[in-house]
Amino acid sequence: MKAFINAKIHTVSGESYEQGTLLISQGKIVAVGTHVDVPAQAEVVDCSGKVIIPGFIDTHTHVGMWGEGEGQSSYDGNEGTDPITPQVRALDAINPLHQSFADARMGGVTTVQVTPGSGNPIGGQMCVLKTAGTLVDEMVLLPFNGMKAALGENPKNSYGISRRRFPATRMGTAAAIRGALNQAKAYLEKREKDEGTVLDLRWEPLAQVLKGKVPLRVHAHRADDIVTAVRIGEEFGIKIAIEHGTDSAVIADFLAEKQVPVNLGPSFWHRAKIETQAVSFETAGVLEKAGVKLSLISDHPFFPIQYMSIAVAMAHAAGMSPMGALRAYTLSAAEIVGVDERVGSLEAGKDADFTVWDGCPFSIRSHVLETYIDGQAVYTRE
Amino acid sequence: MLAITNARIYTVTNGVIDNGSILIEAGKIAAIGAGLDIPPGARVVDAQGQIVTPGLIDEHSHVGGWEEGIGWEGNDINEFTDPSTPQVSILDGINPADIGFADARKGGVTTVQTMPGSGNVIGGLMLAMKTNGNIVDRMVIKYPSGMKAALGENPKRNYGTQGKSPSTRMGTAAMLREYLLKAKQYDAKQSRGDKDFKYDDKLHNLAMVIRKEIPLRVHCHRADDILTAIRVAKEFDINITLEHCTEGHKVADVIARNGVPACVGPSVWQRAKVETRDISPTTPGAIIKAGGKVAIITDHNIVPQHYFRIAVGLTIREGMPEDEALKAVTINAAEIIGVDDRVGSLEVGKDADLVIWTGDPFEPLTHCVMTIINGEVVYQHSGEEK
Repeated sequence: MKAFINAKIHTVSGESYEQGTLLISQGKIVAVGTHVDVPAQAEVVDCSGKVIIPGFIDTHTHVGMWGEGEGQSSYDGNEGTDPITPQVRALDAINPLHQSFADARMGGVTTVQVTPGSGNPIGGQMCVLKTAGTLVDEMVLLPFNGMKAALGENPKNSYGISRRRFPATRMGTAAAIRGALNQAKAYLEKREKDEGTVLDLRWEPLAQVLKGKVPLRVHAHRADDIVTAVRIGEEFGIKIAIEHGTDSAVIADFLAEKQVPVNLGPSFWHRAKIETQAVSFETAGVLEKAGVKLSLISDHPFFPIQYMSIAVAMAHAAGMSPMGALRAYTLSAAEIVGVDERVGSLEAGKDADFTVWDGCPFSIRSHVLETYIDGQAVYTRE
Repeated sequence: MLAITNARIYTVTNGVIDNGSILIEAGKIAAIGAGLDIPPGARVVDAQGQIVTPGLIDEHSHVGGWEEGIGWEGNDINEFTDPSTPQVSILDGINPADIGFADARKGGVTTVQTMPGSGNVIGGLMLAMKTNGNIVDRMVIKYPSGMKAALGENPKRNYGTQGKSPSTRMGTAAMLREYLLKAKQYDAKQSRGDKDFKYDDKLHNLAMVIRKEIPLRVHCHRADDILTAIRVAKEFDINITLEHCTEGHKVADVIARNGVPACVGPSVWQRAKVETRDISPTTPGAIIKAGGKVAIITDHNIVPQHYFRIAVGLTIREGMPEDEALKAVTINAAEIIGVDDRVGSLEVGKDADLVIWTGDPFEPLTHCVMTIINGEVVYQHSGEEK
C-alpha cells in the first residue's frame, strides 16, 4: 500500500484537489481525495508541489509495430498484399521491447490502442494494451477491439496509383469495404442457419463487426470521407468510429447528431497530404462545443507519443476547455475504446495508472517525474 | 511612426527591458528603452503585460519551395536528374503564395533561410528572405547565403537504388571532393587569367565556396557524417555549417573545438530514418554545454513554421538554457546565415522585425498577438482564432 500525499490531483471523472491524497494497493486505486485515511502501514510519498493525473490513453497508435529508424524490415503496419485483410491482427506484430513503448511511458501514456495502418480498405484487428511489459498477451486489455478500415488517399495510393490495382478511387475503396461486409454478412447468415458451416478466418472477425461486438474504426480525413463512413455504417447497422477526422469541424453538428466518436489527430503536423490541408488544433474545440465525443491521438510515430502533453495543451490553447482537453486524452479516450471501467480516471477500484508531474502538465517546461501502471513505477525521470 | 509601449522586451543582445517601448520608423528600429518619449502622431500599440522578442529566424527551411499537401507539382527543392547541381538556385523555385509563409507570420517567424533539399550531393544555392511579400526578389535579404551539400542516406538512396553513383557514404564524399577540387582548379585558372579558362555554370557557383564567399551547408545526421563534413572542410579550407546535426550530442566537443555552427533539428519528429534514430531534444543543450554555437531549425515543412516556437520550448525542457534557446532562433541564426547586420536582435538601426506575444513565446498556451516585418504589421491575432 502506497499513499501519495499533498499532491494537486486531477481525477478527471470528478473533482480536482489542491492538497490531495491518492492511496493505492495491489495495483488498484483504493481512495482519492482530501480526507483520505492513510493506514499506518502505507508507504507515504510526499508530493508537495507536484501534480498527479491519470495515465494518458492514446486511441490511435502504431506503437511497437512501426519501424522507427530500424530500416525497412521493421515495418509491420500494413499487410499490403490484399486490400481486404480482416484476418490479420495488430497483436501479432507488436514488439513490447520496441523503443516506442519506452517513449509512451516517458510521456505518461499508460494505455494505447494499436491499429494496423491505413493502406488497406479493411486493414485488420486493433487491440488495446498497457504500455509496460515484455509479453504482449499480459499487457493486453482488449485483444480485438475494433476493425480498421480506411477511406481517402491511402488505399487508392497503395493499390490504384502505385500498382494499377483495385481500388484506384474513393468509389472503389467504398465498394471494396461494402463488398467485404456483404461477404461477411452472407457468411454470418449461413453460419447462424447451419452450425456445420466451416469457420472462415477472414469473415469471422468482420461478422463480429456486423453483430455489433466491435466497431468499424474508419480512417477518414476529408469531410466527405467521414460522411461515407457514417453512410456505410448505417447501411449495415454497424458501429462506426472515425480515426483522424481532420475535416470534422465542418460537419461537427452531423457527427454530434449521429453520435459518432472521433479519434482526432495528429494535429501537430504539417499538411502532409491533400486530404489533411485543414489540420488544426482548433478542430478539437469545435467538436467539444458541438457535443461530439472525441479523443486526441498521436498516430505514433507520426507524432511522437512522448510529446503528446504538448498536443493536449495546444488543443486547450486553440479553444478546447482545459478539462475537456485533459479528458480527451484520458477518460474520453477510455470510453471510446471501451476500457473506462479500468482506466482513464482516478477513482477507487480503477487500475493505479497515473503520472506524477513537477508542474502543470500544460506547460512545456513540466516533466513527467514518474509513470505508474498497475501501481508499479514503470518510468522514473533521471 | 509606430510605437510599441509597456512591453517586456527581450532585446537578445542587450538584455531584457521591463516596461519598455520601441519606436519604429521607415521600417527600422528608431529607439528602444524604458521611459521613451512617444512622439505625437505615432500609432501606439499598448503591449501591457505582453512580451516582445525579435522576429524568429529559421536557419533551415524549405518554405515556398516544398509546398504542403501537393505532389510533384509543388515540390521544387531537389533537382533529381544529377547528383551534383551547384548551378541551380532555390531563388527560382520559391512560391511566395505558399501557405508556409502565412504560417511563419502567424508563428512569429520573420526570416527564413530557404534551401534546396538533400537528395543531391551538391544541391544548389540558397538564400535568406523575409516571410512577407509576393515578389521573391524583394523578400530576399541575402543571396546567395550558402551552397547546399548532403551526406548520409538521402543521396545514396536517390542514386544508389537506381544503380547510379553515389551508392555509399564513400561515394558521396568522393563526389563532393571531386567537385570541390574542380572548383578550386577552376577558381585558380580564372584568377590567373589562364587562356584556356572556360566558363562553367556548375563550377562558377561552387567557386564561391572555395573563395569563402559563402559556406557549404552540409546535411548530416549521423556523428560520422558530421565528422566527414568537418574533414572535407579542413581539406579544402572552406567554411561549413552542420545542417540537422542529429547526433551532434555524441561529438559535441569536436563541433565546439572546430568552431563549426550546428543547426539542429527538426527535433519534434519521428525517427523517420535509420540515421535519425537517436533524435532527441537534448542535442542543442549538449552542444551549447560543450561550448558550440547552435541554431534550432524546423526543416519546414517537417516542423510547420507555426510550431517552430514549440520545438524550441521542447529543447528548453530537455536542458537548453533559456537565453541560449532564444539566441538559437534569433541572433545565432542571423549570424550563421550572415544577416545579423539587419536582423536577429532588437537594436537601433536594425530592421523592425518583431513579435508581440501574450506570454513566454515557447509555451503552448501562449499565442502570437502581432508580427511586424520591416515595420509593417503582417499578422494580427483576430481574437476569434486562437
